[in-house]
Amino acid sequence: MDKIVNIKNLTINDNKNNILVNGVSLSIEKGEIFGLVGESGSGKTLTAKSIINLLPENLDYKVDLIETIGKNIVDMTKNEKRELIGKNVGFIPQNTIFFLHPMIKIKNQIGDGYIYHMNKSKKEALEKASMLLSKVGFENPDDILKYYPWQLSGGMRQRVNIAMALMNDPQLIIADEPTTALDSTIQRQVIDLFKTINEELGISIILISHDLALVKHYSNRIAVMYAGQIVESGFSDDVFQNPKHPYTQLLIKIIPTFNMKKNERLSEIPGFVQETGRGNKGCVFRFRCPKAMDICSEKVIENNIENNHYYKCNLS
Amino acid sequence: MSKKKNSVYSNYSLLIGIILVLFILFICILSFIHIPYAPNEMNISERFIKPNSDREHLLGTDNFGRDILSRIMVGSRTVLLVSISSVIIGALIGITLGAISAQFKKVVGSSIMRIIDGLMAFPGILLALMLVTVVGRGIAGSIIAISIFMIPTFSRLVNSMMLDTESLLYIKAAKSYGSTNMQIFIKHFVPAMLPKLVTQFSSAVGTAVMIETSLSFLGLGIQPPNSSWGLMLSEARQFFLQYSYLAVAPGIAIIITVLGFNLIGDGLNDFLLKRRS
Amino acid sequence: MLNYLINRIKGAVIVLFLVSIITFMVLMILPGDPAQLILGTEATPDMVKDLHVSMGLDKPYYMQYGSWLIDFLRFDMGESYLYGESVSLLILNCLPVTLSIALFSMIIATLVAFIFGVLSSVKKDSFIDYFSRSIMQLGTAIPSFWIGMVFVVFFGLRLKWFPISGYVPASENFIKFLKSITLPSVVLAIGEFGLLLRIVRSSMQESISQDYMEMARVKGLSLISIYFKYALRGAMVAPLTIIGMQFAKLVGGTTVVETVFALPGLGRLVLTAVEHRDIVLLQGLVMFITTFVILITLVVDILIMFINPRIKTFERGE
Repeated sequence: MDKIVNIKNLTINDNKNNILVNGVSLSIEKGEIFGLVGESGSGKTLTAKSIINLLPENLDYKVDLIETIGKNIVDMTKNEKRELIGKNVGFIPQNTIFFLHPMIKIKNQIGDGYIYHMNKSKKEALEKASMLLSKVGFENPDDILKYYPWQLSGGMRQRVNIAMALMNDPQLIIADEPTTALDSTIQRQVIDLFKTINEELGISIILISHDLALVKHYSNRIAVMYAGQIVESGFSDDVFQNPKHPYTQLLIKIIPTFNMKKNERLSEIPGFVQETGRGNKGCVFRFRCPKAMDICSEKVIENNIENNHYYKCNLS
Repeated sequence: MSKKKNSVYSNYSLLIGIILVLFILFICILSFIHIPYAPNEMNISERFIKPNSDREHLLGTDNFGRDILSRIMVGSRTVLLVSISSVIIGALIGITLGAISAQFKKVVGSSIMRIIDGLMAFPGILLALMLVTVVGRGIAGSIIAISIFMIPTFSRLVNSMMLDTESLLYIKAAKSYGSTNMQIFIKHFVPAMLPKLVTQFSSAVGTAVMIETSLSFLGLGIQPPNSSWGLMLSEARQFFLQYSYLAVAPGIAIIITVLGFNLIGDGLNDFLLKRRS
Repeated sequence: MLNYLINRIKGAVIVLFLVSIITFMVLMILPGDPAQLILGTEATPDMVKDLHVSMGLDKPYYMQYGSWLIDFLRFDMGESYLYGESVSLLILNCLPVTLSIALFSMIIATLVAFIFGVLSSVKKDSFIDYFSRSIMQLGTAIPSFWIGMVFVVFFGLRLKWFPISGYVPASENFIKFLKSITLPSVVLAIGEFGLLLRIVRSSMQESISQDYMEMARVKGLSLISIYFKYALRGAMVAPLTIIGMQFAKLVGGTTVVETVFALPGLGRLVLTAVEHRDIVLLQGLVMFITTFVILITLVVDILIMFINPRIKTFERGE
C-alpha cells in the first residue's frame, strides 16, 4: 500500500534546548485510521503538526524526511507547502472555541480554502458546504451557514470543523483530540462520523487522543507515545491483545476511566511525564515503570516482532 | 529566539532613555556651574550669528544677540523644574486620593473617583488652559495646571492596584494582626505598587515636558525675558523663515527630553512585565 | 446589552454633570469681576451694579450655576464680551475648521498605524518592526508646534506645495480646502499615530496567537487572507475604540496646531478666550468641547457594541 505520511527520525527542540520529541518515525498508509496515543505532553500533537507544517515558530526541528501525501515537504518552499497541505489535508482541532473565527460568519470561513485552492466561486463553495453540513448531521445546514460560531454549541462547532476539513475532498485528515469537551453521546457520533468518512471516501485519518478506548475501537494501527518517543506501535489488535511495553499495559489496564479530562494525568500510574532530559540515554519511562531494571538507565532495546509490532523496552 | 530579541529591545529602550535623560540632567546641572554667556544679556551687534560660525557661540545667537546655548541650558532648568515638580505634586495628591478612595469604598471613595472621572473627561490641554486662566501665567501657574492634570492618572492607577492587591492573603493577614491602615499602606501596598508607579512617573514627566513647552509656546507659561524651550521656539517663529537654525536646538532639546522619559517608562514597563511572567 | 447601554449612558450623564460643575466652579473663583472686565476701568459703580444684575451675578452661586446649565442645554452660552457675539455662534463658526483637521488627521494616523502595525506584528523583530517601534516613540516625542514650524518652512516656503496658514472652507474651493488642512492634519497625525500603532500592533499579536490563525494556515490560504481576513478582523475592537477616543480628544487638542498654522478653529478661540480672560466664552467653549468629546466617546462605544454584539459573552465561553 502507498504511504500517505512518512516521518523519519523527527526531533523537536524548544528554544531552551529541551527535547520535546525525540527521534520519532512513523508511517501511515492510505485509507487507514491511525491512532496516536499518549498523555498530554507526550509530543503527539507536535508530531502531528509537523506533518502539516504547523509547528510553532519558536521550536527547532531536525528530521530526515517528512512526507505528506507522498511528497517530501522538508525542502519545499512555503508556497508549495501551503498549496499541498491546504488542498489535501483537513485538520480537525481540539474542541476549543477559537478555532473558528468568532467575528466571521460560518459561510464566510468554511469555504475560503475551497475557493482559493480549487478555483471555485463562492456559490459553489456554499453549495458544497451546505451538503457537507447536512452530511455531518445538521438538519438545517443553510441556517448554520448564517450563524456566527458563538451562536453554536460545542458539538455543533466541532461538526462545522469536520465539514470544513472535508471541503477540499482531502486525502488525509488529522484529528487532534476531536472529542475533548464533548459529552459522550456526541463523542460517539463524531467518531462514528470519522469511521463513515474513512470507509466511504477512503480518507486516511490520524486520530490523536489520550483516550485508548476510543482509539481501540476505530483505528487500524496505533502508536503509543511517551515523553516524546514512540514506545510501542503496531496493528491495534496486536497491541491491545499483546501489549509489550509496560506503559501500554498500564494504559490498557485503566481503560474503564473513560471520561478522563484532557490534562488530567494518569493517576493510576505514579509520577509525571518528564519534561526535561528526554534526550538522555536509557528508557524514558523507567521513572514510572513498575518493572524498571538497572539496565534501563543505561540503554533501551528496540524490538520488532511479527506483524511490524514494535516496542522499545528491555523486557522481552 | 523571538523572546530573546524582544528583551534586548526593551533593554535598549531603557538604556537609550537613561542616556538621554542623563544628558539633559547633565546640561541642567552644568547650567548652575558654568554658562558660556549671561542668558538674558542682549547684544544687538551680535544678532543672528549662525551656529559655530564665529567659534564663540556654539549654537549661534537669537534676534537679540543672546547666546542660544546658554538659553537652552538655563531653559532646561525651567522645563525640568516645572515638569518634575508638577508630576511629584500631582502624583502625591493622586496617590493620596486613590488610596483614600480604595480604603473608603462607599460614599467618600466613589465620589472621589467620580470627580477624577470628571477631571479626566477634559480633552488634551483644555484643562491646563482653563487652570492657567485662573492661576495666571508663569512658572507657578504652569506647575499648578500640570499637577492637577496629572492627578487623575495616578489616582486611577493607585486605586485599581490597591483594589487588586487588597485581596492578597498577606494583606488580610496583616489586617488580622491589627496593623493600622497606614502601616499596611506603607509596609505592603507601597512596595507592591512602587514599580508601576515609577514607570508611570517617568512617562508622566515626558507628558509634563510636552505640556510645559506647549504652554510656554502659547505664551501662557514662563514669561520673557526668561527662557524655556517652548518660549524660545515661539520667539523664533517670526525669524524662522530666514534663520531656521533658531528652531533646531530647542526642538531637539524637547525631543530628547520627552523621548528619554518616555523610553525609560516603556523600558521599565516591558522589564516589569517580563519579570512577572 | 440593554443594561450595558443604560449604564454607559448613565455614566456619561454623570460625568457631564461633574464636568459642568468643575468648569463653572473653576472659572467662578477667577479673580476679578467679570462685569468690571467687560465695562473697563472707567465704568461707574452703578453701571457695574446694573450689569451684575443683568448678568445674574448678584444671585447666589447655585442659582447662577442652575441658569447657566439650563441655558447651556438650550445651546445658549451667553455673549462673548471680546467679540460681542453669542458664544454659540462663534463656536459654530469655528467648529468646521477643527472638525476637518481632527478628522483628516485621524484618517492619516489610522492609515499609518494600521500599515505599520500590521506589518510589524506579522514580521515581528524584523527591520520593519524595529522601524515601526522607533517612529512610534519618535512621533509621541516630537512637539507639534516644532514639527509644524518645520513643515511650514519646508513644504510651505521652500517647496510651496501647501499654504503656510489660513483656512479655506470646503464649500468655497475643495482642493484649496484640502491643501489648507493637509499640513496641520499631518502634524496632528504625527502626535497621534504612535499610540494607535502600539494598540494595533499588540492586538494583532494577540490575534495572531489565536487558534483560528492555525486553522487559516492549515487551510493554506493566501497570506493576505490570513492576515487581513482573519488576524486583522480579530484585532479591530481595541483600535476602533482608541480611534474614537483620539478623535474626540483631538477636537479639544488643536490649540497649538491652530496657532502655528493660523487656523480660525476652536483651539484658537480657546486661546483667545484664555489670553483675554473672556470667561463667558471660555466657559462655553470648555463645556461645549468636553460635552462633544464625551458624546463622541459614547457613540463610538455603542457602535462597537453593535459591530461586535456578543464578543463579551463569547470570551467568557459557553
